[in-house]
Amino acid sequence: MTELNKSAFLETIGQDVPTVVDFWATWCMPCQVFAPVVEEIAGEMDGKANFGKVNIDEERDLAIEYGVSSIPTLVIFKGGKEVERLVGVRKKAEVVEAVDKYC
Amino acid sequence: MIIGSGPAGLEAALNLKIRQKDFLLFGAADLSNKITLAPRINNYLGLPGISGGDLAARFREHLEQMAIEIVPEQVTTVYPMGEYFSLATAHRTLEATTVILCPGVFNSKDLPGEAEFLGRGVGYCATCDAPLYRDRTVAIVGYTDESVEEANFVCDVAVKVYFVPGKAFTRPLDSRVEVVDDVPVEITGSGKVEQLILNNRTLAVDGVFLLRETIAPASLVPGLETENGFIKVDAAMQTNLPGCYAAGDCTGKPHQYMRAAGQGQTAALNAAAYIDIQKHTHAE
Ligand SMILES: Cc1cc2nc3c(=O)[nH]c(=O)nc-3n(C[C@H](O)[C@H](O)[C@H](O)COP(=O)(O)OP(=O)(O)OC[C@H]3O[C@@H](n4cnc5c(N)ncnc54)[C@H](O)[C@@H]3O)c2cc1C
Repeated sequence: MTELNKSAFLETIGQDVPTVVDFWATWCMPCQVFAPVVEEIAGEMDGKANFGKVNIDEERDLAIEYGVSSIPTLVIFKGGKEVERLVGVRKKAEVVEAVDKYC
Repeated sequence: MIIGSGPAGLEAALNLKIRQKDFLLFGAADLSNKITLAPRINNYLGLPGISGGDLAARFREHLEQMAIEIVPEQVTTVYPMGEYFSLATAHRTLEATTVILCPGVFNSKDLPGEAEFLGRGVGYCATCDAPLYRDRTVAIVGYTDESVEEANFVCDVAVKVYFVPGKAFTRPLDSRVEVVDDVPVEITGSGKVEQLILNNRTLAVDGVFLLRETIAPASLVPGLETENGFIKVDAAMQTNLPGCYAAGDCTGKPHQYMRAAGQGQTAALNAAAYIDIQKHTHAE
């Protein structure tokens, strides 16, 4: 999954296909547990949705601008707008279902 | 992996040890306050009228004899990965073939505003989210032994940290942290957290961390089936997730020591059998 910096982030979320952004950090242990799951979903939904991740330590402004206060958080964007967010570690089917709605 | 150090978790540990399985027992150093606080116990087989404190001492002695140690860390996430489980505490991640959940009963009610502001200022892992509070004000409501460390950690980053102790704390708290002995009532704000309202005082904050001893089973283990807040198990103490067992108060009523211990034993023996089958299939 691609690590997004600010410009890549803005470019990706502006697209018509939904983009799922995983806000994470290296010391966040639940994020480490969740990452391979999100990675797996990204593989399965390849072509239907974009997936990327934002390291809140490196892109702190981005996290704050989008009101992310707790990680892991998945934010789903479509056409540059946030359409849904999932806070915390979630079951795989729940994430797939949430993203599917916007595909 | 055993989660919880009440009678259910301890009895599970004992049985896994006897079966010579490798395991870790996560819980509280003082076992469980549901043991230590009981004034007089009349229904524990063989130990009539024993006090909770004495029972806890006996439990501890037994653990020592069997060389079983408690890892004093709260497990925050158990994720079923199919063939194994991925676990997280505040400090590390681990993998396990089986998990036995013995966290006791989950009885903490949501604070008004908690669900509304989850991820918008409300969080459950201060160490995870600390960097997002650089130069901001944070309140930590601490019901766990580790809360003090989390408060100390956050005060290196935040401009101001309030600590609202949910229980007596013994570990050293950083002098920059302001202790507020009060009871949380509500979290308010517009769009994001702005205030933590206490009984006698209102704190203007950007974030509130609620560090509770027990985590709702369905949040602890995504995908775990529960019913009325209790974990659903079959007679083998197996949950809906293969390899994941549960025992004790978390599976339902009556809430009693012997039931918890008995279920812990059942869960451990079935988990041990599950491990053997897994090994066998992999060997083939
Ligand atoms: C005052 C009082 C008196 C009682 N008297 C009696 C009596 O006389 N007879 C009787 O039979 N029963 C009695 N009970 C009930 C009995 O205490 C419970 O049924 C029993 O303790 C349940 O055991 P348990 O192992 O399921 O959970 P608990 O004893 O609740 O232990 C759970 C432990 O797991 C830890 N834990 C939870 N979540 C996590 C996590 N995520 N990571 C790591 N650790 C975690 C907790 O810190 C706790 O230490 C009494 C209870 C109280 C409060």
